[in-house]
Amino acid sequence: MLSVQHVSKSFGSLQALDDINFDIPDGHILGLIGQNGAGKSTTFHSILNFLHYDGQINWQGEPITESVFDQIGYLPEERSLMPKLTIEQQIVYLARLKDKSAKEIRPQIDSWLEKFAVKGNKKDKIKSLSKGNQQKVQLICTLIHNPKLIILDEPFSGLDPVNSDLLKQAIIEAKNNGASIIFSSHDMENVEEVCDSLVMLRNGRIVLDGTVGEVRDQFGKTRLFVTTDWTADRLSQLPHVISVIQREYNRYLLDLDDETAGKDIFDTLTNGQYIEEFSQQPPTLNEIFRLKAGDHNE
Amino acid sequence: MNKLWIVTFETFLRQVKSWGFVALVLGPFVIFGISIGAGYLSASSASDSDDIAVYGQNELKDAFIKQNKDDINTKIKSVSTAEKKVKANKIAGYLVFTTENNSVKATYHGSSSIDNSMKAKINTFTMGVQQQLNYANAQLTPKQAQSLQQQPVFKEVIRKKTGTDNLAKMISFWIIVIMVYTILITYGSITAQEIASEKGTKIMEVIFSSTTAVKYFIGKILGVLLVIITQILIYLVGGWGMFVYAQHAELTKDAIAKNKDLITAVLHNILSLNLVYLLLGVVIYTILAALCGALVAKAEDASKAAQPVTMLSMLAFFITFPFQNNMDVLPVKILSYVPFFSSYFMPMRIINNEVAPIQIIISLAILVAAILLMIYYIGKVYQGLMLQNDDSSFWKRLKRGLSYNK
Repeated sequence: MLSVQHVSKSFGSLQALDDINFDIPDGHILGLIGQNGAGKSTTFHSILNFLHYDGQINWQGEPITESVFDQIGYLPEERSLMPKLTIEQQIVYLARLKDKSAKEIRPQIDSWLEKFAVKGNKKDKIKSLSKGNQQKVQLICTLIHNPKLIILDEPFSGLDPVNSDLLKQAIIEAKNNGASIIFSSHDMENVEEVCDSLVMLRNGRIVLDGTVGEVRDQFGKTRLFVTTDWTADRLSQLPHVISVIQREYNRYLLDLDDETAGKDIFDTLTNGQYIEEFSQQPPTLNEIFRLKAGDHNE
Repeated sequence: MNKLWIVTFETFLRQVKSWGFVALVLGPFVIFGISIGAGYLSASSASDSDDIAVYGQNELKDAFIKQNKDDINTKIKSVSTAEKKVKANKIAGYLVFTTENNSVKATYHGSSSIDNSMKAKINTFTMGVQQQLNYANAQLTPKQAQSLQQQPVFKEVIRKKTGTDNLAKMISFWIIVIMVYTILITYGSITAQEIASEKGTKIMEVIFSSTTAVKYFIGKILGVLLVIITQILIYLVGGWGMFVYAQHAELTKDAIAKNKDLITAVLHNILSLNLVYLLLGVVIYTILAALCGALVAKAEDASKAAQPVTMLSMLAFFITFPFQNNMDVLPVKILSYVPFFSSYFMPMRIINNEVAPIQIIISLAILVAAILLMIYYIGKVYQGLMLQNDDSSFWKRLKRGLSYNK
């Protein structure tokens, strides 16, 4: 288990992290979300011991030092490989730095290239690969030594939907093998789909945390999807409705300021009659992100 | 395998497999080969075209050929053939000996002026023959003839050992300072660019999640050092091979035999403690170059990264010039203990026998201590310097890098 307790870090007058707390049990995926500059990369750098911080970060009950580096797989935000090496040389070199022998790694390379559908031969130079394929090689470098703590900074950025699915499968596979995984992303659909829990940072502070369901439920079921003959103007005049968005011809999304108003609206719209659609839901992670991540929430 | 050695060998292999290294190592051998080839071609072509043919009175002709057989082409039998060969530039010219009225006459026919040394040989020969004719005509007694042949005496006494030693010191001085300067500039630049290019790619975050910055930094320095040792070993083995070849080659064996004492003295000066100074000098400049590489903002600035190292090395190099014949002055003594300068100045003093063993030990100890301190300090701040990549001014980057992990 990774345990992050009361971690704070400042750069001069800038408070980059302010009393951050979370745990990631074995076989668990945590999504770290927040706007650019919220403190996600600083959190990763603190976990990796790249910088000094106040507080405590433990992996399996021990501080993170060189002795546990071999259990860590890290993908930095900006992709970076050694362009003059071949795919094989690059993977073997980084795996050897994780205490794996070349003998052990070399036979696995072809299957990993196939798994991530990398277009190219293992003897190809890194610089000859497309950006997307370089990213996939870097993901292989992050995962091939079977790490128990996986840290992925924006792993989905730049990947098309097909490759995103391949990555999701790899992440879930690692989770099933007992790894603790933390990743940052701006794509809330991926977070919602893959994560067991999430932490949202704003200006170095945690503003939301819990499982995806818990977080969404914190905001109440304030979204109504209705299909009705009523016009948008009439719907907006209903009590506790703060906005109306027409999604299709007669399908609307209503935002409420009080989830208990849903029942009265249902009664009004149906008036004892049949209604094609009436669904009351909590906000999506995307909406919560927009709502909570910005500085206007200060 | 220890991660430090993984980094060391990766750095070493990447460097020695590069075309830059191959060119750097083979360059001197290629230049040597071209020089030998050009010298051989020039000598073999010159040997024919510089020759002359000789005709005229048989006794004179045969006596002259006997004295100068290396410079005479005896295959051309007639004057008309010689005339054609001169026109075709196959021989330098031809010489015709005649005697008229007891006067010896030598006429040279050529396409350009006769070579000065050949002219002197002809003059000496004709004067000797003329003198014999004159004595014969004067009908002198043998005693009179002998007294007329009396020549003045000129003696040259040279203290060969001292002269050779001084020349050996001068040659050794230039070989060592140029070798130190070239190697420092080359490897300082390679190291700074290598580090700077890694910083630009941000692969350092991945590497620092696998091993410590200190291990990585020392691994890099050891890798570069291995490359330098490889280059020096190749030069030593290649140089020895060339020396052995030159001792037996027709073109060079005489020159080698003539200068054996000088060559031995120069080799003795170079293959001594001075090699240790060269290696340690390279290490300390390489560490400085690594620091400079870590301070650039992006890979494109890599070429600028080595500038401080280049400037410092140039400064030390040029400061040696005024002192090459004046080792016993205070600045030389002081600089032979100062790291970065001692790699130039102490070898100068060692060559000139201006230094006691204890002074060499103290100088080496200071240099080694400076290297260890630099490794310790830079190793500590290296991670911070490599991980921060803002595009602000040099001093801001330095300050931020140094405080990154505090």
